[in-house]
Amino acid sequence: MSYCVNCGVELEASLRECPLCHTPVMNPRDLGRELPPSPYPTDKGQVEVVKRKDLGILVTVVLTATAVTCLLLNLLVFHRALWSLAVIGCCLCLFVFAFPAIFYSKMPVWLTLLADGASVAVCLFLLTFVTASDAWLLQLGLPIVAFLTVCAEVFPLLSKFFPLTMLSCALCVFIEIPAFCVALELRIRQFTQQPARIVWSAVVLTVCVIIDIALITILAKKRLRNEVRRRLHF
Amino acid sequence: MKKTRQQNTANQTGKQNAKNRRDVWYKLDLSAIVYPTLQRRDFSSVYRLSVVLKEPVDPVLLQQALDMTLPRFPTYKVAIRKGLFWRYLEPNSRPGPYVGKDIKNPCMPMPFKGNNRYLIRVYYYGRRISLEAHHCLGDGTGGMCLLQTLTAVYLGLLGHPVRPEGFVLDIASSPDPEELEDAYMRYANAQVCPPRPADKTYRVRGTKEPFYTLNIIDGVMSVREVMAVAKGYGATVTEYLNAALLYALLQKQKQEFHIRLRPVRIAMPVNLRRFFPSKTLRNFITMVYPFIDPRLGDYTFEEIVEQTHNYMRYYINVKFLRGDITTNASTQRNPLIRIVPLFIKDFVVRTFYTRVQDKNSSAGLTNMGALHVPEDMKPHIERFDIYMGQPFSSRTNCAVISFEDTLTINFASSIAEADVERYFFRKLVQDGIHVKIESNRERN
Repeated sequence: MSYCVNCGVELEASLRECPLCHTPVMNPRDLGRELPPSPYPTDKGQVEVVKRKDLGILVTVVLTATAVTCLLLNLLVFHRALWSLAVIGCCLCLFVFAFPAIFYSKMPVWLTLLADGASVAVCLFLLTFVTASDAWLLQLGLPIVAFLTVCAEVFPLLSKFFPLTMLSCALCVFIEIPAFCVALELRIRQFTQQPARIVWSAVVLTVCVIIDIALITILAKKRLRNEVRRRLHF
Repeated sequence: MKKTRQQNTANQTGKQNAKNRRDVWYKLDLSAIVYPTLQRRDFSSVYRLSVVLKEPVDPVLLQQALDMTLPRFPTYKVAIRKGLFWRYLEPNSRPGPYVGKDIKNPCMPMPFKGNNRYLIRVYYYGRRISLEAHHCLGDGTGGMCLLQTLTAVYLGLLGHPVRPEGFVLDIASSPDPEELEDAYMRYANAQVCPPRPADKTYRVRGTKEPFYTLNIIDGVMSVREVMAVAKGYGATVTEYLNAALLYALLQKQKQEFHIRLRPVRIAMPVNLRRFFPSKTLRNFITMVYPFIDPRLGDYTFEEIVEQTHNYMRYYINVKFLRGDITTNASTQRNPLIRIVPLFIKDFVVRTFYTRVQDKNSSAGLTNMGALHVPEDMKPHIERFDIYMGQPFSSRTNCAVISFEDTLTINFASSIAEADVERYFFRKLVQDGIHVKIESNRERN
């Protein structure tokens, strides 16, 4: 029977140190004695992995079948334009979107979003085979997709360094929305060869700036923060 | 010809049984609605009850006993399913659950589609039988009924028959409908819904253990000694232990660097069967939150005990508890909430729990109280243990249970440091209680 000299508790015979303060057990009378087995098991259990194999197979087969049959239909029957590439692009997008949920749930969020953005870009590229020119892809499509992906990537990046609360998320969203709208309008104007100025996005910008100021005030004042939490709790 | 007729009759009976099984399903009770929502890859609301016998456990007989016992508990022989608006439980006729050798990391997550969709696990190790159950099936009282009945059947198979009494149910009888009821709804009839506390409280800081680690420290002591000390402070055992845990948390907060102190609050489940008669084996608990606010000044231990004592006297009574149940039930009764699809409810409940409810308390403490077992069973039992399971966020949970003169305090934590446990047990030792410590923490 040993006691911890620091804590004063009796220690179970198999313990070599006090689990409370990590003081080693030194009983001069029991130095050569072999410790009895622990009353707790030593083998670690593993959570049974629930396979979503069936759903994975179903999704893969349905999307592949859609893509292949549409391609065959396009090549053999309706062969005026390569419209099946648009369908293939959509199937690819759906597969990439479903991948982290069905096949590999440990995928980091930033990588998932990046893959989603890339799949949309590939889908748009395939669409250029259906359209007359590919100028819209380089000047409009890809920049918009890239900007949307960057906006989405901000959240996982911020959550790594700062604790994201509901209010800070809202602030982030209301900063990103006007930024995206302004960029979108400028891009469209450049593409349609109009002078670079903002019109409709200025309205969005104004509204969002007001909301941002309100949110920053709430975030800065603890009393307001608590009030919002109390009023909005559900 | 005769054989064919018999086979046909057997097939018809089988089909009838299967049809009957399909017709039976159970709504989740009021508390149980929340637990599946919080399910994560690394978290399930699983608790563990253990009984330490005086002889090593025979796994073959234990499996036999489990197969005989479980049909008596229809709400434990179930699988959880998703509906459009709510989840529900349906009878599970798949093979199992199977008795397994105990593991080092108890209360590990319980995927709904794993383990043949059973939401209970039974383990054996040496002289110990452990039952782990998902909280959506029932609370500690329901689980204890199952464990004690299982133990009684097991002892019966060993040649020590036990007469059904108290927590031990007769496996030959059919379940009382009251055992399957959602008792909350029967008593949620107060005219006001008192608000819940929604303040942020002190969160225990420490190194988060990796996934699959649950540190356990058990303190075993004499009930008589603890009662004598508690009486010296003019409190009950629960109040005294609550005060000791509050004291430990206050010490821990003081030892750390904080720009601003926060209140220390304990989430303590109260067994509502004590106040509202019900035989239900499902959840029938509510939470109370004894607290100390160190921003008001330094509290001596005597003051903490007094504050806890007064808090318990004020809040734990039929009126307040009825109000609390009504508050909880009001959301489920709201027709607008009822028609919201389940995935939206899940999102909202999870967000609310993570942002508000989980931050509401610094630690959890549950006291199952003094357990009564049938006289025939007593000579075969050494003690009982209870673990509150893996916490949702890293913190320490404490569970207390007593049998005869043995009081066991089981700490389960996912934090590497054992500071709270150390302050707690040192306080008990200072008060003159002899504490024996057991732990599953790694040896150096």
